[in-house]
Amino acid sequence: MLELRAATYRYAGYAKAVLHAIDLTIGDGEIVGLVGPNESGKSTLCLVASGLAPASVGGQLSGTLTIDGESMAGRRTHELAERVVVCFQNPNTQRSGVAATVFEEVAIGPMNLGLEVPEVLARTREAMALLRLEHLVERDPLRLSGGQSQLVAIASLLAMRPRHIILDEPTAQLDPAGTRLVGEALRTLAERGTSLLIAEHKTDLLDEVCSRIVALDAGRIVMDGSTRDVLTDDRLVTIGVEPPARERLRRSLVAAGVDIEPAVLAGLPA
Amino acid sequence: MSTSWVRALVGIVAFFIVLVVGINLTGALDLTPDPNTGLVAAGNTLIVLFGASLLVGFIAYAVAEYAQTKRLDSITSQFDTRTIVLIPIAIAINIILGQTVAAALKVPIYLDSIGTILVGVLAGPIAGALTGGLANLIWTYVLPAPFHSDYAAPFFIVAVEIGLLSGVFGRLGFFRSRPNAPTPRLAVGAVIVIAVIAFIGYYGYLPYYNQNGAVFFNGDPNAPVIFTIFGWLVALLLVAAVVGLLALLFVRRDLGAAYVFIAGLACGIVSAIISAPISALVFGGVTGSGTDLLVAAFQKAGNDLQSAVLKQGLLSDPIDKTLTFFIVFAILGALSRRFAARFPQGEQAVGLEGA
Amino acid sequence: MAATVQSIGAFVIGGYAGPLAIILLTVLPAAIVAGVAGRLIRISFLLTLPIAISVVLVSVFTRAGTTVLFSVGPFDATAEGVNFAGQTLVRLFAISTSIGLFGLTTNPRAFVLDLERRGLSPRFAFVALATLEAVPAMVERATVIQAAQRARGLDTEGSLRARLRGILPLVGPVILSSLTEVEERSLALEVRAFGRPGRRHLLWTIPDSRTQFVVRLALVVVFVALVALRASGSIAGLP
Repeated sequence: MLELRAATYRYAGYAKAVLHAIDLTIGDGEIVGLVGPNESGKSTLCLVASGLAPASVGGQLSGTLTIDGESMAGRRTHELAERVVVCFQNPNTQRSGVAATVFEEVAIGPMNLGLEVPEVLARTREAMALLRLEHLVERDPLRLSGGQSQLVAIASLLAMRPRHIILDEPTAQLDPAGTRLVGEALRTLAERGTSLLIAEHKTDLLDEVCSRIVALDAGRIVMDGSTRDVLTDDRLVTIGVEPPARERLRRSLVAAGVDIEPAVLAGLPA
Repeated sequence: MSTSWVRALVGIVAFFIVLVVGINLTGALDLTPDPNTGLVAAGNTLIVLFGASLLVGFIAYAVAEYAQTKRLDSITSQFDTRTIVLIPIAIAINIILGQTVAAALKVPIYLDSIGTILVGVLAGPIAGALTGGLANLIWTYVLPAPFHSDYAAPFFIVAVEIGLLSGVFGRLGFFRSRPNAPTPRLAVGAVIVIAVIAFIGYYGYLPYYNQNGAVFFNGDPNAPVIFTIFGWLVALLLVAAVVGLLALLFVRRDLGAAYVFIAGLACGIVSAIISAPISALVFGGVTGSGTDLLVAAFQKAGNDLQSAVLKQGLLSDPIDKTLTFFIVFAILGALSRRFAARFPQGEQAVGLEGA
Repeated sequence: MAATVQSIGAFVIGGYAGPLAIILLTVLPAAIVAGVAGRLIRISFLLTLPIAISVVLVSVFTRAGTTVLFSVGPFDATAEGVNFAGQTLVRLFAISTSIGLFGLTTNPRAFVLDLERRGLSPRFAFVALATLEAVPAMVERATVIQAAQRARGLDTEGSLRARLRGILPLVGPVILSSLTEVEERSLALEVRAFGRPGRRHLLWTIPDSRTQFVVRLALVVVFVALVALRASGSIAGLP
């Protein structure tokens, strides 16, 4: 379980805090979505929840981050990496730059963890199968499309078998097929007990996979509830987040005078 | 702050002790050129001595720190992940600029240490020294053509020294931008720099260069015309440098320019002194660039190979290093403060300011 | 053969003493065995050429010497100068061929990974490998940025001046964009447990044989012996 209590965070050299008194809990096997307008602090929250802020980025964190019962205060980044990983938005900067093939790229995480070779191989193969990347095994990581690169980046994180995964707009460069692939893989992981936090603009994806959604505005959590409750809430629009397609459909229908039960639309694919 | 100065002092003292002892052990430095090869026998001993002294100095520093704090933090802290990620990029910048831009232009400006200096300033002296050394080794041994240079390896020590010095200057804040300095301070800065240049020029350069009759300003009718031309060229360069510096200081109102200038001069002089014996020894004073003509001219004037190379170096290296330092200064200015501050030495290098 | 060839390279630079011809005798056979002799000679020649020209010009004309061969303007060509030039040239050529041989016969990635397997810290291995990729990557980035600038009207073809003006605005963006990536890239690496102390179990092994080990040892011994001999002055007088 990943737990943030009363977390207030300030970047190094800045006077104003970016996050204020954040309370966030992500249970094992839970998929939590994070929404919010631009500059609301979503990316910062991802960094704080993974411990990278302040461990790598500096700055000041008041409040606590507890993972699986252990405090993460003062931990080194590789200790954090054993428990929680982050997937970032830009696939190009997540490439290690030292792998000659996609297989090696995905294997870097397990290798860095110091695992034995058979274990590294097993985990790499598993991660690649989960994201259907077997056909890319021998390719040069530098020569992949943006979408493929992002999938490889996610695979390289999955190969580490982390207990907690945080994703900061992971599908920004993916087409619908890729997005769906990622959604399926994440759901499988949640079934195995991995806890997930996904920050996204594409609320459609969140609608599909998340059981809970947290809304962030100006560094504070303004909504925290089940997916359906939050996504159908009017406040979402006022803070500047676009609801998923089917919710927008429902609203236009309602506005046009057609009375329709949300449950009817619940059965439609997002 | 005082404990780290003690450590640094220990390292420096050890360096000089080994150097002096070594020189005494090998007898008087044999400065006469070998008639067959023109190489000074002392050249190679000097290189070995420098290398050994550097190593011992470094070890002494590390031992002192360990004795003080039971850890080697000031060294290891320079190497966090950001530094490690920066170093390959810095080396790539070194190699690409050094290989393509400089080689194409054929002027005595190498521009092959920009990356090294960046790492030194942002991460620390040891990191900078390591970058310089690694860049040198990788350039020679690891990279395939066309990014290959067979001739960089002997200048390993120079590359290391550049990284070391720039790290020290960075830590002392020489690369900080000091904008909006009040005019009196700018004037003081300009005066100091001009005074430094004049002092070095008058007491250091002129007597040295006048030694063997290669006089620049005396209208000696027997000296070939080419030397007078060189002499005036050098004078022009000096004037241009001063004018450029004044322009920078007063137009941009950034006092940092004066600091960078002095740091560049110092680094250039040290580099020239260290690289002269290497160049003379391994390459006969020839590097395939425009400086060779200068070396030839000096030799014609009666200098032996060693001092010819040294004189050429003392002319071109300070210019090269000062220019390089300014380029790094500009790059640092273009980077956001947030970016630089996350590096181990970033805050000292770029200065603390409310972001 | 990586470490073996490496030793040859270092060996030659150390053996700058007179008998360079002997050194050529060890490099060439190895090159022929590896099948790269032709390329090696061609590349070394090309690399040495610009410096060779300078060496000849400078040394021939300016070595203080007594037997003047001919004169060009204020410069006299001396026999000592020719002698010196010859020696330097052979020396340079020896260096470039040995290092060139190393470069042509070694896969750089294999070399670095083998070093890591033998105890080099993973961080150093990373730096070496990353530099290998960083250099061509930066060149490619420069090409892309140049195309973008050209699309915005910056003229880069043609005279030397135009090309120079084309390079200058390139340098800034290339360097800066490479540098600003450092932050994200280091975060991504840290998340992949990069900074973890201790060794890794590498997926690759590079075969090494008894013969190679013996050859390496022999090379080191010979190298040390040569340096000692040179330092004591016994072989200084060879032509």
